[in-house]
Order: sequence, then structure tokens, then C-alpha cells
Amino acid sequence: MGVDFLIGLFLATLITALFTSRLYRLIMWYSLNSLMLGILALLIGQELGDTAMLITGVATILIKAIGIPYLLKYLSQKFHFVRQIQPEVKVHYAIILIPAILVFTFYLAEPITHMIHGNANYVAVSISSLFLSLLLMMEHKNVAPKIIGFLSMENALFLLGITATDGMPMLVELGIFFDLLMAIVVINLLFHKEEVKS
Amino acid sequence: MIAYLLTIVLLLLIAPLLPSFIKALKMRLLFKKPASIWQGYRNFAKLMHKETIVSEEASAITRVAPFLVLSPLLVILFFLPPVVHGAYYVSFVDAFTITGLIALSTFFLMLLGLDSASAFGGMGSSREAFIAALVEPAMVLTIFSVSMMAGDLGVGQAGVNLAAHFPKEHMASFLFAAISFFILLIAENGRIPVDNPETHLELTMVHEAMILDITGIYLAIIETASSVKFVIFASLFASLFLPFGLDYSAPVAIGVFMLKLFAIAAAVALIEVNTAKLRLFKVPNLLGIAIVFAFLSLITFYVLGA
Repeated sequence: MGVDFLIGLFLATLITALFTSRLYRLIMWYSLNSLMLGILALLIGQELGDTAMLITGVATILIKAIGIPYLLKYLSQKFHFVRQIQPEVKVHYAIILIPAILVFTFYLAEPITHMIHGNANYVAVSISSLFLSLLLMMEHKNVAPKIIGFLSMENALFLLGITATDGMPMLVELGIFFDLLMAIVVINLLFHKEEVKS
Repeated sequence: MIAYLLTIVLLLLIAPLLPSFIKALKMRLLFKKPASIWQGYRNFAKLMHKETIVSEEASAITRVAPFLVLSPLLVILFFLPPVVHGAYYVSFVDAFTITGLIALSTFFLMLLGLDSASAFGGMGSSREAFIAALVEPAMVLTIFSVSMMAGDLGVGQAGVNLAAHFPKEHMASFLFAAISFFILLIAENGRIPVDNPETHLELTMVHEAMILDITGIYLAIIETASSVKFVIFASLFASLFLPFGLDYSAPVAIGVFMLKLFAIAAAVALIEVNTAKLRLFKVPNLLGIAIVFAFLSLITFYVLGA
């Protein structure tokens, strides 16, 4: 019950992020999205009795829900980013597009769900959030929202990891975190480039 | 039967309290000296004593319309899901009836706005029609999805079923439906992201523009109608999306229900403090989000069963 509720909140925060047109609001939705993911990891870890997953859950909350949003906000303040980010895809079209993506991905994931026992429909939710983050990357021109789209995509993959398998090896997840830190360094460089351009 | 009638009377009595409560809470949050929460009753008493003046251009509709605005809403009060376990309720009334009755009330409100032949009235009516037309599909989708989770199309029966078997396995779609319904609650009652109930600034008015020309008893009736509408939406939200606390003895259950209503009012007040009013042409975007969530709720329920 709790897991279902959190999955719902995960998807809801992502969909709301697709409609926002302010950068700080977008960062806040990303932070909430990661927070839901972290609590989800804690809950599932507790259910499975998996200590490694509990640690990754805490790490997710600390790094993705607090650290990265704070860093992104700091960077965008430092480089004076445009805070009004109007999505390129108009809301009228997004209203049709998002349900279409959801329906498509839900049916797309159906063959996979037969292979997995237990939390089968979480796979569908994580694949659809993968596509929605892709849309988030596509519908913005600026760098900062694109990065948030990339990070949400990582969140979606993480969700797939914790729900589809009965707990990934912790080493893999720590590797993903280091990947993310590398990505943040690259992002910093990109921000510099953007600043030079403008 | 006693609990049923008592609930209706209590809902009517509490109706002017909730908007005043929202206002007082908002003023407290903005560090102003809060207005009394009994202000709604005071306004009502004041308007009852005032002289009623009707515009010379107005036809008979102005004299009739306020009653026709209020009466469909009063009828809906009788169809709401029960608050106490085992209380009497009307099981056969479905979501379409309730949406239709609300639309009927809105229709007469729009007629009232047009009737006094002032520029503001017509403007307010056209805006209200614009919003009401967009609310309808999302409302039907949302209540339909909730009815599927509850296993019955009747609203009263759905409330009872949800209280008996809370849809634990459908939490995700339940949550989406709740988000959608909350947006509709805000839009239909003209709270801040859609309409500002406090200003008389000509560019932002929707509800106030329609009732600008009437005074006295008619205004008292219309104000009551708008607060009754809020109570209807809040209690629909409370019984469909927060279906717990029905099993206690009757006084406790009714108390819990009233607490839920105040909690919803507090949530609305928090949203009002935190957001700015949307431009009128951006209102479809907000209602579009409501439609997306309602549809998502349906599709999650159908395909995933989650």
C-alpha cells in the first residue's frame, strides 16, 4: 500500500515537473521526486531485509534529494541562469502527448511484467517515467532543465533497479552515484560554456 | 435517518464558516490581524436586514435566479455519501446527476450575471462559462475512475464501499484521482489560482463580477450558495478520498468528518497563500493537468491495476 502510494507520488511529481515554467520550481519537483524514490528504496529494503538497499536509500535522499538540487540552485545562481523556462512543447499538446506516452509505455511494459513476479507494474511506471524524463529533456532549450531531465531519467532507472530485481548489488548502485557525481562535474563545465556563449 | 438529517443540517450550518476560516487562516499566515471566523454569519445577518434594490433594466430573472442558484445545491446535499457507518443514504444518484445539478446552478448564476445588462456581469458570465466547460470532462473522468475503484456508479454507494474496503491495491490510481479532484475543487469554487474571491479588481473577477449588481437578500442567497458549493466539494473529497473514521459512534464520526472538512479548507488556504492567480488564458493549462491526472488514474487502474 505504501509502496503503491509512493510510486504514484513519484509519477505525479514528474508529470507536474513537465508543466512547470520556472527553474527553481522545477528543481524543487526534482528534489521531491528523488525524495519519494529514497523513501521507496527504504520501504522496499525493509521489506526484503536488505541492508545494502537501506544504505542506498539514505544515500539517495542525502545526495539526490538534498545535495544535487542545492548544488544546481547554487550553480544557476552563480552563473545567472534564465529562470523562466517556457517548455517548447505547448501545454495543449502536452495534455495529449503525456497520456499517449503513458498508455504506450504501459502496454509496452506488459510482456516484461509476465517475467517478473511480485511488483510487476512498477516496471511499467519506471519505463513510463523514463519516457517522460526524455520528454522533459526534449521540451526545453536551456541547459539546466535538460540536466534535470537527465537526472530524472537516472531516477527512473534507479526505480527500475530497485523494483524489478530483488535488490541490486550495492557496488553497482555506488558506481551509479559516482557516475552522477562525474555528470555533475561535466554539467559544471557545460554551465561555464553556456555562460561564455551568452 | 436521524444521522442523515443531522449531517445535512450541520453541513448547512457549517457552510458559511469554512470560507471565513480560510480567510482567517490566510490572514494569519500573512501576518495580518485575522478576521473573525464568524464573519460569514455576520455578513449573512447584515445582508438579511439590508434593503433589496434591483436594477431597473433587470427582468424577472433577477428575482428568480438566486433561488434557482441555491436550490440545486441544496438538493445535492441530500445525495452526499453518509458520514456515519450505517446511516441512511441515497444510493442511486450517480456522478452525472451531481455534475448536472452543479451545472444547472452555474447556468442560473450566469443568467443572473447577464440579466442586469452591465458590462461586468456579461464578462463574468462568459468567463464562468469558459471555466465550467473545462471542469466538466475532468470531473466526470475523475468520479468515474473513483467509482470503478469503489465498484459502484452511485456516489453514496461508492463512499460506503470505499469506507468498507479501502482500495489498498489501487493506491496509485487513487492518488491520481485525488490530485485531479483537488484541482477541480479549487477551480469550481473560484479559489486563488483560478479566481480571487476577495478582490473586486475588474481584470480578475469571475464570480464577483456576476453578482456585482445585486444586494440584500439576493446577495445573501448567492453567498450562501457559493459556500454550500464549497461544502459539497469538500465533503465529496472527504468521503471519497479520505474514507476513514466512519466506524466510530455517531457523534465522534461526525466530529471526525468536520475535522476533515477543516483540514481540506486549511489545504486550500495554504495553496492560496503560496500561489499567484493565473492569467485567465492559463486556466485551461491547470485544468488540463487535472484532465491528465484523471486520465492517468483511469489508465493506471485499467492496465496496471495499481
